[in-house]
Amino acid sequence: MMREENKRGSRTTSIIDVLYEAPGPKARRKIRAATIVSMAVLLCLLVLIILQFYKNGQLDPRYWSIFLRKTTWTFLGEGLLGTVKAALGASLVSFGIAMLLMLWRISSRKILRGISVTLIEFTRGIPTLLFIYFFFLLAPQFGLKLPAYWKITLPVAISACGVVAEVLRSGVQSVPRGQWEAAMSLGMRWGSMFFKVIFPQAFRYVIPALISEIVIVLKDTTFAYVVNYADMMQNARVLISNYDALLSVHLVVAVIYILINYVLNKISVAAADGRNGKGKR
Amino acid sequence: MKQTQNESHTAVIELRHVDKFFGSLHVLKDISLSVQKGEVLVIIGPSGSGKSTLCRTINRLEGIDAGEIIIDGVPMPEEGKELANLRAQIGMVFQSFNLFSHRTILDNVCLAPMDVLKVPRKEAREKALSLLERVGVQDQAHKVPAQLSGGQQQRVAIARALAMNPKAILFDEPTSALDPEMIGEVLDVMTELAREGMTMVIVTHEMNFAKNVADRVIFMDAGSILEEGKPEDFFAAPKTQRARDFLGKL
Repeated sequence: MMREENKRGSRTTSIIDVLYEAPGPKARRKIRAATIVSMAVLLCLLVLIILQFYKNGQLDPRYWSIFLRKTTWTFLGEGLLGTVKAALGASLVSFGIAMLLMLWRISSRKILRGISVTLIEFTRGIPTLLFIYFFFLLAPQFGLKLPAYWKITLPVAISACGVVAEVLRSGVQSVPRGQWEAAMSLGMRWGSMFFKVIFPQAFRYVIPALISEIVIVLKDTTFAYVVNYADMMQNARVLISNYDALLSVHLVVAVIYILINYVLNKISVAAADGRNGKGKR
Repeated sequence: MKQTQNESHTAVIELRHVDKFFGSLHVLKDISLSVQKGEVLVIIGPSGSGKSTLCRTINRLEGIDAGEIIIDGVPMPEEGKELANLRAQIGMVFQSFNLFSHRTILDNVCLAPMDVLKVPRKEAREKALSLLERVGVQDQAHKVPAQLSGGQQQRVAIARALAMNPKAILFDEPTSALDPEMIGEVLDVMTELAREGMTMVIVTHEMNFAKNVADRVIFMDAGSILEEGKPEDFFAAPKTQRARDFLGKL
């Protein structure tokens, strides 16, 4: 088991280095040619797209000048804040439910395991939008009237929790058996064994996967328009209908989403590197 | 009658007719043995003979299918708080060290005393530091396990077991995962412990260590105890052919 840990710790080469050997002179030439050709194709496409936009008048300054106004940015900023709040809330709630599902999933009681597996499959299999409709349309009929924030946050959280539960479980299962045995041999009870020894290690293994899940949650919050919650997408829609600026607003908003998710991915990679680095001698 | 009572009182570990199966494989066959207070029992035998399994059944890391395990007069319960309490009294040192990889060396030693015995943090740390000093790794107290050599990790594992003030310590091939130059430092710590009167059950392939430190040697093969005796007798003149073959191959 120790050997396994060492291997994990000393893994400095990326998966690409393992899958492909270093290219020789012939391969290098081929790679260069392919790179030039694909760049050219991409460039042509880009030019075509811009040309098409130009023909349809989408590059007209009136669509773009709104981004020179401070109010546009303030409005989008408010939306962004709403997105961040919803994503953060949904992530935390999802993590809480997932923790419970995971604990049931690894429980020695068959009933709990059964319930957990059912719920995990249920939440993984149903599209987020259906959960939103449930909280938006169905729940109020039964007297459950939630603020718009929870109408988007809860369904997004529920829709993610199955996957998060499985991610957490995979983390718990990758903790070597010897860690359990060592804790058991010291007379620790299940609770402290799990939360003081096993889970902290499991959590470190799955940080990158959890961050990827946050990206999904963040993108799911764009359903906020359904429940009239003012996230960035909802505010973008308002801008679009006010200024008729479909393309420019969508493009700008897309870039902001990409930037956020890019940062999240960077954090995830850094977390993975830190984790691997920490195991190193 | 009186004598058996006395005997069962001084036996820290006692196994009575223990049987264990892995599926249809009979890995422990009617094992009975007792370990007295202060005794060093070394279990040797070829791989697959069941010696590690025997060691692991003593604190119920492996369940048993028949028989009884009695720790200091108390039958080993099958689960729950009582089992945890009994396990807390028996230390264990593993082949692969199994230090808690996310915690510092000091925390590794402190964790169980604080969590199980409810020793206050300050006291636990002081004791941990003195134990780390005793096994010679006090300088590493604030590192994480992966930063230590195998020999150092195993000495920390011994300190971690000692921190619980165990009635006995089980060693499951404690030097088998170590580079040759590190085996000595671990065996030295174990020899010292034996001298101080710690009750120890040791599964090992280190025959010299067995000769010098053991009070009693058990030779196992195919799930049974074939021979039992003082190391000087066993190593000089093994009674069974199987033991002669085994020792001859070393």
